[in-house]
Amino acid sequence: MATIAGTLLRSLGKVSMTVSRAAPAALQGVSKCLPSNTTCNTPVWTPLLTIVRHRYYADKVARGSCLRHYGYKDTLHTRGLLPHMVHRTRLPVPLYRPKNSWNEKRALFGQNDYIDILGNGTLKPTDVTYSVPSWLRGFKGNEYQMLLRKKKIHGKHMAHLRPTKYLEMNKRIKWLYRYLNQKTRDYYWHRA
Amino acid sequence: EHHCIMAQRLFYPTLRNSLRCFGTTPGWQTEAVAVPQAPSAPLILNETSEIDKNVAEVAREAWIETLDPSGENLHVGLIHLHPKVFATYPRLDIIHENVVWQQKYRMVNTSHTKLRSEVRGGGRKPWPQKGTGRARHGSIRSPLWKGGGVVHGPRAFTTQFYMLSFGKRIMGLTSTLSAKFAQDDLKIVENLDMPSDEAGFLEKLCEDRCWGPSVLFVDDCDLMPRNITVATDTINHINLMPVYGLNVYSMLKHNTVVLTVSASQCIEERILHHLNKPDYHLINCAKCYNK
Repeated sequence: MATIAGTLLRSLGKVSMTVSRAAPAALQGVSKCLPSNTTCNTPVWTPLLTIVRHRYYADKVARGSCLRHYGYKDTLHTRGLLPHMVHRTRLPVPLYRPKNSWNEKRALFGQNDYIDILGNGTLKPTDVTYSVPSWLRGFKGNEYQMLLRKKKIHGKHMAHLRPTKYLEMNKRIKWLYRYLNQKTRDYYWHRA
Repeated sequence: EHHCIMAQRLFYPTLRNSLRCFGTTPGWQTEAVAVPQAPSAPLILNETSEIDKNVAEVAREAWIETLDPSGENLHVGLIHLHPKVFATYPRLDIIHENVVWQQKYRMVNTSHTKLRSEVRGGGRKPWPQKGTGRARHGSIRSPLWKGGGVVHGPRAFTTQFYMLSFGKRIMGLTSTLSAKFAQDDLKIVENLDMPSDEAGFLEKLCEDRCWGPSVLFVDDCDLMPRNITVATDTINHINLMPVYGLNVYSMLKHNTVVLTVSASQCIEERILHHLNKPDYHLINCAKCYNK
């Protein structure tokens, strides 16, 4: 297509060149816009301008696309499949390790949750939750309530055997008491 | 109670053996159901529960099977299951609530972030208040700093404990049992006596009967017969459970649930007892689960 257009334009150019050379003596470009009362007796010569193209689309295509962002090093990867090839090495993909959904803990999950219904009624599910820390069985509360409960249940043990931890816990309890009761409104209760 | 259960397990097989010799006795049976196979097979009957006899619905029937494939018949008898336990319309939303409750009520989140006071260091003012062109700071462990404390992060042990209401838990059990029964995933077995203690024997038995890949055997007593205990020891997806350990999550996790006759009777009795007791309406109001 480009070549056809190129040849057509070249041939037109050649025609225009031949026309411009062919009739030097003829009245060319006599201006018709002049009014009749001011017409001169002698004709005015105005040069005929022919536009000659020297740039052809085919040549543009042959040159190729324009070089843009010269000297710029693009650190993105614009081609290829994931994972990207970074300096010829693949990105680390973790090894797939499926969990054993039938190990003892998972196979028997939920056992004894209905012991108060299906047993003889003396045991409740909160009595048999051995995986839960002892001061948290059957309990839900915010941090302040949880620390108070921990102190109530394990305070003596901690004071005797974990003095630093006990001290830190007491400091936290005092701080939380002040914060919750003197620094914030009640609707922050759940966050603390 | 344990002694009584042991006696039962010794007594019933001998009684059954004697029946095999002498045929069926009418005095022991109230609803005799004829099994069309060989007359030597005993009819292990089952009456409907004593607690709730006047039920408008029809009792559901299930075959009683054996784990001993050497006998003539696979089916040893017929059992009647109470419709209020094994034939309720399964409430999927209640089953879902039960499963979610089982997963959540025991959950303890141990994620913990240190506060600015707990992070090591950061007691000194890093540079003077004025003079240096830098921003003013009091400690290198303030939350603005990298490596500093977290302000409102997770703190120590948080629990998601809550108790589902009694009625919902009972309904969860009945819905799951009914759904399992309706979908042919609930099997009734005479007892858990097996002729062999090999794992391969049990696996072959389950495959022959098209019992799903995972099987849950439920018995009345928590001391199971030796053979089945040894066989299931190495197989992770075939498990044994006593009646008091039964729960919605396990029933849904295992493809097939196999109950012994005594286990099914025990389950019926317990659930009907709770459904029919006079102060049932008070249970949902009670807040008695916090120690």
